Amino acid sequence: MKSKRQRGAVEKVFTGIKGFDEALDGGVPKGRSTLIVGGTGTGKTVFLNEFLYQGITQFKENGVYVTFEEDKRDIIKNVKGFGWNYTSLIAQKKLAFVDASVLKAMTFETDQSYDLMPLVARIKYALKKVKAKRLVIDSLDNLFSRFKNVDMVRQTLGQIIAELKDLGVTVLMTAEKSGQEQHLSRYGVEEFVADGVIELEFIRGQQQFMRRMFTIKLRGTGFRSGIVDYEITDQGLIVHPKIFIDKLVAKTNFQVRKSCGIKGVDELTGGGIPQGHMVLVSGNTGTGKTMFGMHFLRQGMSNGENAVFVALEEPIEQVKKTALAHGWDFTRDEKEGRIKFVTTNLIDISNDKLLYQIISAVEGIQAKRVVIDSVSSLLSATMSEEQVRQFLLQLSRHFKAKGIACIMNYLSLANFGAARGQLLSHLSTNEMRLSSITDGIIMLLFVERGQKIKKLFTVLKMRGSTHSKEIFSYEIEKGGIKMGGKYDE
Amino acid sequence: MAVKYVLKLYVTGTTLRSNAALKNLKKILDETYKGVYSLKVVDVIKQPKLAEDDKILATPTLIKILPPPLARIIGDFSNREKVLLGLDLVEVRGGAK
Repeated sequence: MKSKRQRGAVEKVFTGIKGFDEALDGGVPKGRSTLIVGGTGTGKTVFLNEFLYQGITQFKENGVYVTFEEDKRDIIKNVKGFGWNYTSLIAQKKLAFVDASVLKAMTFETDQSYDLMPLVARIKYALKKVKAKRLVIDSLDNLFSRFKNVDMVRQTLGQIIAELKDLGVTVLMTAEKSGQEQHLSRYGVEEFVADGVIELEFIRGQQQFMRRMFTIKLRGTGFRSGIVDYEITDQGLIVHPKIFIDKLVAKTNFQVRKSCGIKGVDELTGGGIPQGHMVLVSGNTGTGKTMFGMHFLRQGMSNGENAVFVALEEPIEQVKKTALAHGWDFTRDEKEGRIKFVTTNLIDISNDKLLYQIISAVEGIQAKRVVIDSVSSLLSATMSEEQVRQFLLQLSRHFKAKGIACIMNYLSLANFGAARGQLLSHLSTNEMRLSSITDGIIMLLFVERGQKIKKLFTVLKMRGSTHSKEIFSYEIEKGGIKMGGKYDE
Repeated sequence: MAVKYVLKLYVTGTTLRSNAALKNLKKILDETYKGVYSLKVVDVIKQPKLAEDDKILATPTLIKILPPPLARIIGDFSNREKVLLGLDLVEVRGGAK
């Protein structure tokens, strides 16, 4: 399906750019013009190219490229890097160029009485040649800078846009960002383009550039969010849309419970972890949090429930090695499509991107169980506490709507060596703040008793369930976690 | 006499502007280079492919193909000096250069 009709509003056209159509509620306005504004290197040209390329290959909409910037040969060469073969598309009469790039010889203006009708004629000719439904113009600034008669340029541009609208062609155009207040673009071109303005920006992060897309206006869109993150990869543009919360119906299903996979634990949680729950497993290093998560996922896989492991603490290979040492072959599970691993660079982390990665992985194999190892790495990364809360909130809503149970590991450096009668030191302030998002908290503790370190397990909270309030000891042996008896002081 | 000046004029249709430009240009060429120039007139509406090949953006556009160097001028060609300057042609008394 090429477009999506909204109630009485402007019809949209899918651009085919990964994530973009989702982020902007269906794509760009059909048969109208949208302006892409941004500085050098923000990816405006990639955007245009991908719009045309995906239009042809995914939606059978032929296209015309009007270039004032680079010449036709360079453009064709540049897109080869993405694996796009323009030469072939031109031969198949699916793509046509209007090459208005700067000539080697200068054009001398004897006076200002000329018009730009040839541009209009050439565009019409190209549109007709390939029966185009999409057209891009790169860039408007370049066009304006070439002629002294600015009014003439403006008039011609207005005419071109009107003609394209009549023909029902969907248009994307680029412009540089102006440094001034009164106009967004240098020549104030956004005034012509009444139907949509998207701004691309990049900001310097710690290790890499972070790219952001702002939707200034987009007619006919009740778009989900004004600001989204995006990336330029070797395959084109990827937009990481915000996951919209309100539309989803989110609640826990207490009837369906997921076994933790460790003998004796399910009873303590009131029958297993309810579908839709986000459970925090909090403990110091070495308490076996990751192992707990592995049991949980492995149990799911043997029940036919697929899993996603979000590895933010240790590299994925390390996680697999540890699992293997206890008899679980996650590599094989991965190969056979039962589990997917997700990881990301913690420096310059993008909230949206990670969210999108996790949800994509979950949707990809219809996972029902997720482990995040760990939430504390997010807090120590360049995400602010509020960002982490937002991130978890969105994840929680999504998981509840899809009936997924999630375990989040939390590295808590407290909970060690509590004195007698004071076994449970209180939760850290961070844990407290996360507490409102979490449906359950399991604590893993170390306690020093008589020359030995004992490991203790307790369910601190499990919303909506009658859980055990007692403390149990446990051990980590070959084969995983083994629950012991009640802990008696 | 051999043709020494090869020129190509691009116009849009047969508008007042197109006709005026052609008339002005013919006047200048006949005055200065009578008999030694060839002028081809292309209508961008009728032959858009030629306009694309020559990368024409404005009309009227006059391209000087010979003698080198290649030159382009746009405007209505009412100013003789500017036209000759733009085409990089030098006026030589008593005949064409």
